[in-house]
Amino acid sequence: MVIKMIPCIESGIPGFEELTRSNGGTGGIPENTATLVYGPAKTGKSIFGNQFTYQGLLSGEPCLYITTDKGLKQFETSMNEFQWPIERYLEDNSLYVIDTISDVSKGKLPKSKTVVQSYINNPTDIMVKVGSGVHYIYRNNPRFRSVIDSATTLLAYNDNMLIIRVLKAYLMRVNEAGGTPIILYTENSADRIVETMLKSLVDNIIRLDGKELVVEAMKGIGKRSSPYLITDKGIEL
Amino acid sequence: MKKTHIPKLDEFLGGGIPAGSSILFCAVPGVECEAFGYQILNGVIEDGYNGFIFTNVTEPHNIIYEFNRYGWDLNKYLKEGKAFFVDGSSNFIGIPPMGKYSIDELSQIEEVVLKAIDDVSDGVGVINNISTLIDYLEDDKIIEIINKWNECARVNNTILVYIFTKWDYKPELVDAVKSTVDSVVSLTSIEERVIIGQGFMVTSASWLHPKNSMVLYFVLQPGGVKIYIPKILVTGPYNAGKSSFVELISEESVSVDRMALEKFPTTIAMDIGHVDHNGFVADIFGTPGQERFDLMLDVLAKEAVGAFILVDSSAPQTFGRAKEMINKTQSEAIPKIIVANKQDLPGAMSPEKIREAMKLDKDIPIIPTIVSENNGVEMALDTLLKILYGD
Repeated sequence: MVIKMIPCIESGIPGFEELTRSNGGTGGIPENTATLVYGPAKTGKSIFGNQFTYQGLLSGEPCLYITTDKGLKQFETSMNEFQWPIERYLEDNSLYVIDTISDVSKGKLPKSKTVVQSYINNPTDIMVKVGSGVHYIYRNNPRFRSVIDSATTLLAYNDNMLIIRVLKAYLMRVNEAGGTPIILYTENSADRIVETMLKSLVDNIIRLDGKELVVEAMKGIGKRSSPYLITDKGIEL
Repeated sequence: MKKTHIPKLDEFLGGGIPAGSSILFCAVPGVECEAFGYQILNGVIEDGYNGFIFTNVTEPHNIIYEFNRYGWDLNKYLKEGKAFFVDGSSNFIGIPPMGKYSIDELSQIEEVVLKAIDDVSDGVGVINNISTLIDYLEDDKIIEIINKWNECARVNNTILVYIFTKWDYKPELVDAVKSTVDSVVSLTSIEERVIIGQGFMVTSASWLHPKNSMVLYFVLQPGGVKIYIPKILVTGPYNAGKSSFVELISEESVSVDRMALEKFPTTIAMDIGHVDHNGFVADIFGTPGQERFDLMLDVLAKEAVGAFILVDSSAPQTFGRAKEMINKTQSEAIPKIIVANKQDLPGAMSPEKIREAMKLDKDIPIIPTIVSENNGVEMALDTLLKILYGD
């Protein structure tokens, strides 16, 4: 029997590749699939997203990062806390940030042409920026990553059904272009039904509860789990 | 009739929008649509009328900022009383509202917007965005409200501009929304793997039968909505029939050529044409085929979105040169088709033989033609436009 290996990209999380390895494959996040990382608040979901982003940048894969929780400045600060400096990647335009939360209307200019402003309660505008962001990134490298941190804030500011539609359009756009998207979401912050819909949009589901990382679903492998710690290097399994 | 101030759109609408009418900009997610509403408002106010923006997607100060980025001074109009906001956003996210009217409960929307329409008789109201209303109100209620607003606008000679992002709503609901207005302009993305452009098309207008044309556009800051005419390249070896091809597919064309050996014309700089076919417009740039002009290829090919590669089917010795020209014009990366010309000559190779000889990927269409008899030319044009714009 010929076993077809699913190509994976490195997650950046020490131990994650070993956990998700199967049939002699490399392990990691299956390329060009969509992943939901969820769990209670303060369990390291953003750190997961940041680690994934930084690993991509290190390997020369650009990243489209949509921030709805922190402005660009706070994003930079939280990356620096783990010594993942992003300034260089903002300068060489391999990190494309859609900042939906900083208020630039008071005249603060973005520091890079790949830092664009959008508005948390305007999904139409966010989708327009995602479209041009994907187009920009894709031209430079068809292998790229994308992170939304987080769906929770989008859901809090907008009608839930609208955001499900937005996320669907987002995943479709990134997948079509060959990218690998991750959506972060805080458990129980929206209705159960919304949560179920969110899970049905993605290929892979990872839950963090503060102690254990559970791969609840992933293309090509069954359910797996491992305890984890958050150290100065980020999440480690 | 009031001008929309959006290039080409006024022409398609027969000069603009009649007073008291409604127009819906219906966009697929990811396509820039708000600029259309803002540009119309800005233009109508510049023409001396008043206007308002109802927003439920972002706070007024963000809209003022966006206007500034387009190069339009909304603040001045606000101060002069020529424009005002109906703020349906701020209260819902807990910040102080701004504008003549604000909404803090969904049930107020209908009445407050009716008042606003009354206030701008002969002017314009921009409703941004219907999608958010759909998500918060019942489907039937939305249609009822829009109908009331349109009725009030008719009485007051106010033009209503609706912005609508077509998320995956039920088709019946989308149709119902479209049927409430006098005119619908569809905004779509034109895709070749990922977006290569955005296009608009007037799909209905109650006051005329609209021209069935798609116009490519992009939105500039500053500048607003601008029309984009894509460039299509025609290249291939010497004497493959490029100039005749450009001439045939274009409404008008110019060739910079001279007599070779004082017998027949050969292109020494370029052919330029403009094609308007099945509602799609494009500029056509033909390159010379002779090697001594190769330094120009790079310049002529810049920013082309698609290419016709012409070959003389009866001259396989020139196929190597055709491949070289694909390389020199960097046409590997853009959609292209091979126009296998001179199929009537003795020894002309079939498309499949040409594919084999040129070692071409099976995805690249090869269209057999006889350009001198206008045979197969339209098919070649249709094939490339279909790849570029989709069905």
